[in-house]
Amino acid sequence: MFEIRNLHVKINDTEILKGIDLTINTGEVHAIMGPNGSGKSTLAKVIAGHPDYEVTEGEILYEVNFKKINVLDMEPEERAQEGIFLAFQYPVEIPGVSMSAFLRASFNALCRHQGAEEMDPMDFDVFLRTKMKLLDMDEKFINRPVNVDFSGGEKKRNEIMQMAVLNPRFAVLDETDSGLDIDSMRIVADGVNKLKNKNNARLVITHYQRLLNYIIPDFVHILVDGKIVKSSGKELALEVEDKGYDWLSGK
Amino acid sequence: MTDTMIAPTEKNSLFMEQLDTLAGPLKGEKSPGWVARLREEGLTRFRKTGIPTVKDEEWKYTNLSALAGHRYTPAGKSALSPAQRKDVRARYCGEADVNIVFVNGTPDKELSNFGKPPTGVEIMTLSDALTNNAAAVQEIWAHYDPQKDSAFVALNKALTREGIYIHIKDKIIANQLVHILHVTQADGEQIATFPHAFIRLGKSSEASILETHVGLNDENIYLADPLTDVFLEENATLHYSKAQKESLRAYHVGTTRVWQKRDSTFNGFSLAAGASIARNNLDVVINGEGAAAFLNGLYSVYKDQHVDNHTSVDHRVPNATSNQLYKGVLNDAARAVFNGKIFVQPIAQQTNSYQLNKNLVLGKECQVDTKPQLEIFADDVKCTHGATIGQLNEDEIFYLQARGVPRKIAARLLTQGFVDDILNRLTRDSVREQAARMVAPSLEVLEG
Repeated sequence: MFEIRNLHVKINDTEILKGIDLTINTGEVHAIMGPNGSGKSTLAKVIAGHPDYEVTEGEILYEVNFKKINVLDMEPEERAQEGIFLAFQYPVEIPGVSMSAFLRASFNALCRHQGAEEMDPMDFDVFLRTKMKLLDMDEKFINRPVNVDFSGGEKKRNEIMQMAVLNPRFAVLDETDSGLDIDSMRIVADGVNKLKNKNNARLVITHYQRLLNYIIPDFVHILVDGKIVKSSGKELALEVEDKGYDWLSGK
Repeated sequence: MTDTMIAPTEKNSLFMEQLDTLAGPLKGEKSPGWVARLREEGLTRFRKTGIPTVKDEEWKYTNLSALAGHRYTPAGKSALSPAQRKDVRARYCGEADVNIVFVNGTPDKELSNFGKPPTGVEIMTLSDALTNNAAAVQEIWAHYDPQKDSAFVALNKALTREGIYIHIKDKIIANQLVHILHVTQADGEQIATFPHAFIRLGKSSEASILETHVGLNDENIYLADPLTDVFLEENATLHYSKAQKESLRAYHVGTTRVWQKRDSTFNGFSLAAGASIARNNLDVVINGEGAAAFLNGLYSVYKDQHVDNHTSVDHRVPNATSNQLYKGVLNDAARAVFNGKIFVQPIAQQTNSYQLNKNLVLGKECQVDTKPQLEIFADDVKCTHGATIGQLNEDEIFYLQARGVPRKIAARLLTQGFVDDILNRLTRDSVREQAARMVAPSLEVLEG
């Protein structure tokens, strides 16, 4: 359902991704691991359509209604409307915009795109509360400005809560585990697992193996210096945890 | 008449020629002799100042030559059609509120409910107050040195024809909102109004007052020069909002003066939703220990509107607090000026004063001039100030886009968020909702 072909990306004239190939089928969970600066987060942002990155070569194909479309031709909001979701590594604070207003705008944009009716604000409120419960988030967050004065862990839970609201077909989780204590990580991982089914797919980006004990990947890819240097099953994560990344980068 | 052909000094003299036409006693005035003397004082003072020019430091960024170039007539009678009355009532008069409505400067008895003020609250027209309660008015006036009056305060004093006097008696907590609404609607003539409001809160009393200035026809050219004098006795609390949305071609130069005694609280909000040129002066004198002044403001303008907010807080005693947050949204080719003066007199130790001005610029041809001005003569004080001018945050827009929200809607949502952050300080729902309605048009016209 999601295919990256020979993807080259640069930012401010520095090449970060140097030819990525990756194929993800429905029902699969893929993990990308790699040292700091290897290009993991760049890949996540390029998939979501961040304007700072320049794709110099390659394509990203995504299957919608049995047709392959090139994601790189789409605006960020069009990608989201087609079911691509990025759980941000650093969720953005938006003072003045409440969680409920933010998520209603988002949910309704997706409804409109699918030709469905917008949800009535009262119904949406009820719907939102059930999703917050799933992530063990206090209901008081509903009227608070987006991510403002949230702890690191609360922000990450909020990302997965948004994923629960939007129910994307393809989700990229960018270092969702960083800054989480073990209890929060379990809640987040549970949330992610509950949303998993045979019609969707996940790309989990992480620096540490820890998260992959809870979100079990079908494939693990190691990204070093802008290239995938090794791909294998879930056991590769443990191997990396044990030996570090140096043996893979040829250093 | 082409404005561009007339030099500023000639324009000023054109305006000066009109003074005698515009001057005149209150209708049926039976006021004491000192009022006539005050008028004369105002007139003398204004003849000295004239209409300020950009050479005047106080008017450096706001050019009044367009205002000075018109010939105005004294405010006429209320001339609203039944449909307009209905519209005014529906849009601006809350059913639960005490509404005092002036149309073209004249009290409109039908739209107002003068008859039944809440217990412990006196509301009367200025002419009635000068007949029945002159001493109280005189006492408020006596606090200010007429030689220091600004040009438009002097002009108001010289030319005021009508106004309102509101007195909240000691220990009265008035929950009902008192809404002073000024409506201007004068097709085919260019009128000038000089309404003067006196608001006096007795000891340990509390009240909420909203002062609104609106124009009904965006084509009307007129001048509004309102003056509001607020006097807070010990431990009184006033929630005061001033909102103005004049016609697109009107001039509004308004002043609110606040005098605070010990332990009083002034909780002020200024909403400027446009005029051709709008200048709002808010001058607070803190003259009693333990007093607190909150000055919140929102200006939101578009097209080629010009809005200018000047605040001044004068800490004359120790142990008082002032806190200011003014936010502005500028669209299209609008211009905004913010000038915030804080004086901390030598005796005013332990003053705690905060000021912040934040501007969100949406249009490509907007201009903002913001100037904090702190004059601190005491050494044991805490004073902070800051100003920002920025555009919408691209990270925030991207975050919304990544959640499926189109860029244009994201921009609108973020702008609303910027505005709501300050509007939410208006705790009374009816006031906040009116304010939100008034600024909405200037937020809608977003560039792509």
